[in-house]
Amino acid sequence: MNRDVPVLPGRRRRAAMLSVVALVSIAAFGWPLFFDPGSITNATQAPLVFALVLPLILAVVVADLTNEGMDARTLAMLGVLAAVAAALRPLGAGVAGLEAIFFLIIVGGRAFGAGFGFALGSLSLFASALLTSGVGPWLPYQMLASGLVGMGAGLLPRARGWSEIALLSAYTAFAAFAYGWIMDFAFWPFTLGLASELSFVPGAPITANLHRFVLFNVATSMGWNLGRALVNMLLVVTLGPAVLRIIRRAGRRASIATPAPASM
Amino acid sequence: MAASADSLHPWAWWLWALGAAAAASLTTNPLTLLLLVLAVSAVVLLRRSDAPWARSLRAYFVLAGFVLGIRLTFAVLMGLPMGTHVLFSLPEIPLPEWAAGIRLGGDVTLEGLLFTLYDSLRLAAMLVCLGAANALANPRRALRSVPAALYEASVAIVIALSVAPQLVASGQRVMRARRLRGSNERGLRALPSVVIPVLADAVERSMALATSMEARGFGHSRRPGTGPLVLVVGAMASLTLGTYLVLGSPAAGLGTGCLAVGAVGAVAGLRASGKALTVSRYRPNVWSWQAWLVGVSGLVAAGCVLATSWGLAHPSTDPPEWPALAPLSLVAAALLAAPLLLTTREPA
Repeated sequence: MNRDVPVLPGRRRRAAMLSVVALVSIAAFGWPLFFDPGSITNATQAPLVFALVLPLILAVVVADLTNEGMDARTLAMLGVLAAVAAALRPLGAGVAGLEAIFFLIIVGGRAFGAGFGFALGSLSLFASALLTSGVGPWLPYQMLASGLVGMGAGLLPRARGWSEIALLSAYTAFAAFAYGWIMDFAFWPFTLGLASELSFVPGAPITANLHRFVLFNVATSMGWNLGRALVNMLLVVTLGPAVLRIIRRAGRRASIATPAPASM
Repeated sequence: MAASADSLHPWAWWLWALGAAAAASLTTNPLTLLLLVLAVSAVVLLRRSDAPWARSLRAYFVLAGFVLGIRLTFAVLMGLPMGTHVLFSLPEIPLPEWAAGIRLGGDVTLEGLLFTLYDSLRLAAMLVCLGAANALANPRRALRSVPAALYEASVAIVIALSVAPQLVASGQRVMRARRLRGSNERGLRALPSVVIPVLADAVERSMALATSMEARGFGHSRRPGTGPLVLVVGAMASLTLGTYLVLGSPAAGLGTGCLAVGAVGAVAGLRASGKALTVSRYRPNVWSWQAWLVGVSGLVAAGCVLATSWGLAHPSTDPPEWPALAPLSLVAAALLAAPLLLTTREPA
């Protein structure tokens, strides 16, 4: 059914959507950099402002990505991959939050492109939040951040064989750290309050706040980020080739609209 | 007449809980926060069902305690430079110049601890309110009431939620097969031989599911034609600009204006996209008058706390003084407990 739809308008539309997502993410995760203490909101409430705005934006983007050019087979693939990712999450929950979930999001995004990757990342986190009853103000952030992880995997340059696995594991390490950093950064004033010595200082120069953040982050979450990066890299190296083969084969049979980056 | 708590519209519970969380976010008075948490917990404990998600309140209490613990630990270890009532002193460790003037150890004051405690209690109370929504609202029924534009996404989520338990059964089958073949690989070596068959099985199943969905006409239920891209992208840009202005500049009016325009645009875009869907719903959730009252009681409770005077809602910590209870916070707690009268627990 996708063959009747001209490819280019759909791709342009998807590109427009994903660019807006990038813009929104900069605002949502980087807000402590431009926060002005003279504004009407209190700095510890700012993540809550986004908790109201982000669901609306995510709804628009996910609706658009799933309505345009996703047939029943693509949706079923999206649902099943999200299910596996959501089932992987509690396995690592005792150790360090969402561990192995990244592996699948990255592989799925790599196989089926940036739009699918974004939808997969955000829907996986949503499904796992429903399964574990973990819905809260952090959920829109997690959905956006893991969506970005999947989207980035879809935008990687072309590669084949072992160079592809090497590329993916390098990206996985980067994504695992970047995810931890941006999530911590957005919630930094929220988790620590404003009064502690490692806290965010509203209105202070950007470099001063970044310096404090680096200290706070190294002190609290370096180990988690490192653990997440290692576990997922290990999974990419051991399971990556086989999983990519399985879902690419299914994708070819289903003629999923977005071509895999390797065959572009 | 009271409605059964489980048959109440799930979004009504969410509205009530978000109202409660908003009420908690507006005050740092520990007495008010305690009352709000008591009211919300009472409703959850007396009205929750036996479903798996109904047990989630405990996890949220643990999370709330964790947040409280982290903040208090940091406040003790790093000290807060406020107040004069020194409770005790920790040995101070000098740090090098690059540590941005951070201090480890030193005097711990009553004022600093109280300030941290009140602020963390507020956060903990909000977390408990969200836990209440997770415990009371049935996630599957909530998914049935999503806007039509998100129909495809909700189908993907429903597939995910129903496939996830099957994966466990699939995993057990693969393990049994491995044992029967006499394979005794352990640990990391065994990983591919379990995960790959489970995943292949899941993908296989998804393709079978898609075939049967298509055979039942799925994919022809949305009329061709794309939603208005300019409207949707414009709305999102306006929302982003609005949040930027609300947080990053004193121009509050312009920021909230942008947010409102963006919200209206996004909702309009979602509606336009939903219009193209020609699917009817099987046994839709009913938004009853009890649902109205439950939702409104949460929102009015938030209004009550908002109307409390600043001094009563935010008791002073420097100098420390005993917090007083505002009559309005009693009203707010009573309103949050109102679902006890409006709903009944389903006969088990």
